[in-house]
Parts: sequence; structure tokens; C-alpha cells
Amino acid sequence: MSRVLPFLFVGVVLAIWEAASRSGLWSPLLFPSLARILDQLMLFFSRAEMLAEARVSLERALGGFALAALAGILLGMVMGRSKALGELLDPLFSGTYAVPKLALFPIFIFVFGIGSLSKVALVFLECLYPIVIMTAHGAREVNRALLWSAQNMGASRATILRRVVIPATAPFIFAGFRVALPVAMIVVVITEMVASADGLGYQVIYALSSLRTDRMLAVVIVIAALGYLLDKALVLARDRLIYWEKLDTYYV
Amino acid sequence: MTRILLSVLSLVFLGDALAQTPPLIRLGRGFAAEEQVWLMSARPDLAPNQGKRYQLKQILFQANPERFQAFLAGELDAGTAPGLAVIFARAQGMDMKIVASVCLEAKGEQYFTTTYMVKDDGPIKSVKDLKGGTIGVVGIKTATDLWARAGLINAGLVPDKDTKVVPMAFPVIGDAVRTGKVSAGTFVEPFYSAESAKGGLRKLFTAVDAVGYDHELLDIFFGEKFLKAHPDAVRAFLSDYVAVTKYYLSNMEQAKRDLHKAGFVRTPIEIYLKNADWKRDPNARVDVESLKKLSTFMHEKLQWLDKPVNVDSMVDQSFLPK
Repeated sequence: MSRVLPFLFVGVVLAIWEAASRSGLWSPLLFPSLARILDQLMLFFSRAEMLAEARVSLERALGGFALAALAGILLGMVMGRSKALGELLDPLFSGTYAVPKLALFPIFIFVFGIGSLSKVALVFLECLYPIVIMTAHGAREVNRALLWSAQNMGASRATILRRVVIPATAPFIFAGFRVALPVAMIVVVITEMVASADGLGYQVIYALSSLRTDRMLAVVIVIAALGYLLDKALVLARDRLIYWEKLDTYYV
Repeated sequence: MTRILLSVLSLVFLGDALAQTPPLIRLGRGFAAEEQVWLMSARPDLAPNQGKRYQLKQILFQANPERFQAFLAGELDAGTAPGLAVIFARAQGMDMKIVASVCLEAKGEQYFTTTYMVKDDGPIKSVKDLKGGTIGVVGIKTATDLWARAGLINAGLVPDKDTKVVPMAFPVIGDAVRTGKVSAGTFVEPFYSAESAKGGLRKLFTAVDAVGYDHELLDIFFGEKFLKAHPDAVRAFLSDYVAVTKYYLSNMEQAKRDLHKAGFVRTPIEIYLKNADWKRDPNARVDVESLKKLSTFMHEKLQWLDKPVNVDSMVDQSFLPK
């Protein structure tokens, strides 16, 4: 039953949409029927150039995310395990976390150009924050008993880092990844909507400018599906890599 | 007894007052080149029918899709929009009609026409040199996009393939061209005058060069339901609109000062007063032939339309003063 429930919920939402579309209360141009959206979805998958647009967006999102993951783990570890560096960098990250980095996009265009680089750079910046903050938090929270035990057994600092700190921080790193990955998709789509000649964001704005809400919603569904698949892949990787830390929630 | 009598009398008068309230026109406006439309709200004394035969509420929109979505949602009765945007809307079956012209892209020293500029000391000497480059427009499937593509096609280039067309905001286009982030950019007033004054840019082609003829830029549209329900209000509105257009054309400096004072224009007043203006027909008549040519171009050359649009049925000038 628990496996059926999410699909049931989606089914109810779709039924409400279809009923609203057929009610005649709203223009079909604003509220297209599911059949029209499905038609556009089929059209999307039947055209190679549309799949290429999806690939462009994915490359930008994953490129920025990968760079943020590398830099974020490094920075987070340093901030979490070094008191002096933590005190130095913490105010910088917590003070600028809430800044909407998208507002900086025009500056990024001037620095990195209008192509992919400015978009990847903005994805990197937006993804960096959750990864750094979660990693730093995890690195600070490593169980002292584990660290003392390793020290008592004569482990070097490098061994303690590799065998104790990194594995203990890994769940936090993946938590940061799970926050950052959808952010990467959102940022890439928005930047493509603002200034781009390709990508899924460009397709969204192109469909909107053509007053084709059905086509726009089909692209939105593709974006949502990609986000869902990326998240599922990340969870799968997490479960494989951190096999000792399975989530076991007890619901009261 | 007196109370009951007073209540009945007040109800009668209230009903009478409601019956006499003129229809409200909710008009979606833009932020450029619509001076005479804005003037109707900035200087209501120039529109004698306003408040008597119709009421006017202008609502600002940054882009056409949002304006049309508001229209579809029943939040607007009318609006200003580029002729080509109305062609798009009609192609999707939206029940709207162009009833008057706002301004045109036209040749002539006295008129401003949207201009595409490149870096003055850059390698691009003709449109052909844009091969492999990028051209900045203000939005996808907007008039600026159409002219850019028309210019490229005229030069034998294939838009998107030979030259990328990217959307960017007007205020950043000047620096984007100067720093080489885009090869060419679209300039409209007041950005054209401001950026030309800074120097470092050179004209490559204009909107009129691109399509080869004078044509409608902005028009006023009304929903067909509103036209049927309130024809007298529309006639009164357009009568005022034509009067205000004539006033604007013969008292441009004062009108611009009034618009600036009322906050419709944020450009520094000294720059705004010097700007050349688009061509405006004093009688607000629509150049239907130019819309037909644009529609054909959109359908045949750009493949922006799945099928041709019947422009004659899209324009109704019968509400304009005779």
C-alpha cells in the first residue's frame, strides 16, 4: 500500500488538473489538458535536438555541481577541523548564505561571457554554500571517542582523517549534496531563461513567448523528471557508499 | 417610518449611481514608446471622456507573455502590444483585436528606429561578419528578435546556426557589446542615446533596414468580448486617445515633461527631451499591410507560426473617430 500511495497522490493531482482544464472556467491556453501536454511531451522525446537541449542543461548543472562538491568538501573539512580557519570563514559563509546569487548573474555574464561558463559559475556558487555548511557541521560533530581511540592506537593525522573523519562526515556531505543538486537544476534553468540560446530554460521561455503553455509544461515535466532521477541516483550512491548508516526512522 | 423611507430612497439613488458608472477599462501597458497612452493617465484633463464615458486603469507589465496571460485570466480588458505579439496571440486563438496604432518603425531622419550596433573598433563591418558571433536581443520571439533574424537572413546567414541570438536586458546590452560579450546588440531609446553618447559603438543596421519597409511597432488591442459589451466606451476611449496623440505630437516637450513628472519615465529629463521619437500616426490608423507582411515573414521565413494568420480579421478600426 505504501508503494501505491505516492502514485495515488500524483493521480489525484492529475485528475484535479484535468477537471479544471475541462471545466471551461479558464482558457485552455492557460490551463491546457493533460492530453495536449502529453502530446508535447511525446514530441519532445521524438526530437533529437530537444534531447540535445536537455543534455546541455544537464552538463551545465552537473559541471557546476561537481566543482562545488570538490571545493565544498575541501572548504567544509578545513572549516570543521581547524578552529582558526572555521572562525575566519564561518562569518563569510553564514553572512552571505541568504544573498540571492542570481542577482549577480549580470556580473557573471560580464566576467565569464554569455555562454555556458557564466551559468556553470553561478551553479557552482549556489551549490557551494549547502555543501560547505553541511560538511563543516559534520566534520565538527565527529565522535570524540572515535578520534581518541584512533589516536590511542597510534594512527597518524592522515590516517585519522581518512579512516575516521571522512567516513563520519560522509552522511553530512551527502545531505549537502541532496540540497545542492536540485538547486543546480533550478539555477541552470533560470539562467537559461534569462540569457541563453540553448538549454531547457531557453525552451521554457521560447514556449512561453509563443503562448504555448502546453509545450512549456512539457519542458517543466522533463526538468522535474531529470531532478527526480538525479536525486534517486544520489540516494542510491549514498546507500552504496555509506552502507553503515542506513536511515532508520521511528515514527511515533 | 422616516428611516424606511430614507433607506428606500438611498437604495434608489445608489442603484442609479451604479447604473451611471462608466465601464472600467483595465489596460496593460509597457515601459517604452507608449507616450500618448501614458499621457491619458498622466494628464486626464486631455481626455474629456475619461471618468464620464469610461474609466481607465493602466497596469504596467514588463513583457508581452505576462500581459497576455493576465488578459487570458480575465484581469485585463485591453492593452498595448507589438503587432507581431498580437499575431502570435491570434495564432493561438486568443479573442483580441487591434483597434489603434501606437507607433511605427519608420525610415526618416526625424524618426527613431530600433538600431543594432557593434563595437566601433571591432572586426564587424557588415552583417555578414556576424557569422560565428552572437547578437543580443531583448527577448525571444519579440520584435527585436524578429529584426535581428531578418537582418541575418538578408545577409545570407542562418539564425541560431551561423549566429546565436540571445536575450538580454536593454540596460546591459551597451557594455556587453563594448566588452565583446556579444558581437552586436539591440538599442532602443533611451538606451540608444545614452549609449551613443558614451561612444565606442557603431550602427550596423536598423529595424526598417532589416525588414525593408515601414511597419507597425506597437498597437492597442481590446478583447472581443469587451468590444461587444462596451462599444461606446471603446469609441470614447479612442476618441480621447486620438486627441491625446495629436496633443502629444504638437506639444512633445511639454508632454514629455508631464510624463516625467508623473513618473511614467525614469530617464533623466534632459536626455529624454533630446531623444528622437518613433513615428506616430496622428489619427492612430493601423498600417494593416505592414502587419500582413510581418505575418507572412513570421510564417514563411522564421517558421514562428504553424499557419498564416488572417490579419484583416485581427484589426478592427471601426471604433476610431471618423
